Amino acid sequence: MDDILEVISGRKSIRRFRPDPVPEEMIDKVLEAARWAPTGENYQPWRFVVVRNQETRNKIGDLAKMGSGSRMTAWYCLGHMQERFEAIEDPDKRAKVLRFMYSGEVSEFAKTVPVVIAVLGDLRLGSVDVPYDLSAAVENMLLEAHSLGLGGCWVHGPVASSRDAVKFKKILNIPTAMSDYKVIAYVAIGWALEKRKYPRPKIPLEELVYWEEFGKTTRPEPTLDDVVYYEAFGKKEKE
Amino acid sequence: MDRMSYCNDLIARLEELFFHELSECAAWKTEFIGIDFIQSRDIEGNNRDDVIRNCIRAMTAAGLIEEGSFAVAGKDILLRLKIKGCIHMGKEVRLKERGIKVYNCIIANMINDQLIEKLNYETTYVASIDADEKRGLCEIKVAIYETIDKIGCVSDWSEECRQIDKNNEWQTIRAER
Repeated sequence: MDDILEVISGRKSIRRFRPDPVPEEMIDKVLEAARWAPTGENYQPWRFVVVRNQETRNKIGDLAKMGSGSRMTAWYCLGHMQERFEAIEDPDKRAKVLRFMYSGEVSEFAKTVPVVIAVLGDLRLGSVDVPYDLSAAVENMLLEAHSLGLGGCWVHGPVASSRDAVKFKKILNIPTAMSDYKVIAYVAIGWALEKRKYPRPKIPLEELVYWEEFGKTTRPEPTLDDVVYYEAFGKKEKE
Repeated sequence: MDRMSYCNDLIARLEELFFHELSECAAWKTEFIGIDFIQSRDIEGNNRDDVIRNCIRAMTAAGLIEEGSFAVAGKDILLRLKIKGCIHMGKEVRLKERGIKVYNCIIANMINDQLIEKLNYETTYVASIDADEKRGLCEIKVAIYETIDKIGCVSDWSEECRQIDKNNEWQTIRAER
């Protein structure tokens, strides 16, 4: 079996797209990848709304801009955003990046990406894993899109707050009752306008992984006693 | 244990569990908590200050808070609230004891709801909550956006707050005794 680590580590979130349409068979493959995601007790609670209509995407773009922008404007006013981006040394570049964030433009790209796929879960099926199943489906979609040469982005912003989630559902005619469907995100799919680079710096594994119990950073070395038997399989005692 | 302590204990447990499930995002999912009360009060007002004032009046009249003060600054985006004697302080104390940052102000949720419902505000965001149980006082900063054009209108809120305090721009509504 091929190792897909190169696909996984080569993916990055794409937010700028060419206007060219995405072929139907590619959209189908992205959806097919979602369908094969792990799902508790095979409930498959995911449902998808594929949106290409410009007017609908504009509404989603505005909602996403408002969601991200409303939060980031406040964070900037409190000084939190400036702390987050202080690593950018060039003040003009830092100001530009910050403005891009707090204006909400960072999340507005539903207007320019050719395909938006809303990912929602049916809460009425009895599954206890809906958000986790849907998250796995989203990851599959992004990896499939990347492997096809497309760019994609997982967007939570327009459904992050309860009030915005209701607005999002109304845009797509999804029943708004909290007992019916939960929208966890949309996935933007299109041809990347950004230059494809390797992902942003990642925390090294040594800082993320513990061995055998939380807090133990040293990988245990197997001893001879762990791997050697004498005279017969399973016999630990030397005669 | 009185009934309010019992209720606050329940809400604190729910908010603790919610935070554990959703981390910082829990705050974004709780904005409807409290709206049933304020929507039942038929709040009137043709402008922002009237609506906020009438929300606070309804809350003081119902005994939810003893006193509420507000001021708006920062290009009409920063809404500062000072709430004294809130019946929900107990749940904030429980959360702080468990190491969880206070993230859901029911009083702010009510005011935000009415700005949206009555004046068609585009959106609101509770930016910070400072619950001081020793003084029986909560200070909340809310970003309120009348239109989508207000998104991205930034200012230095530390300075805005200094000016509000210096010029005593607070409007205060107290419970009638």
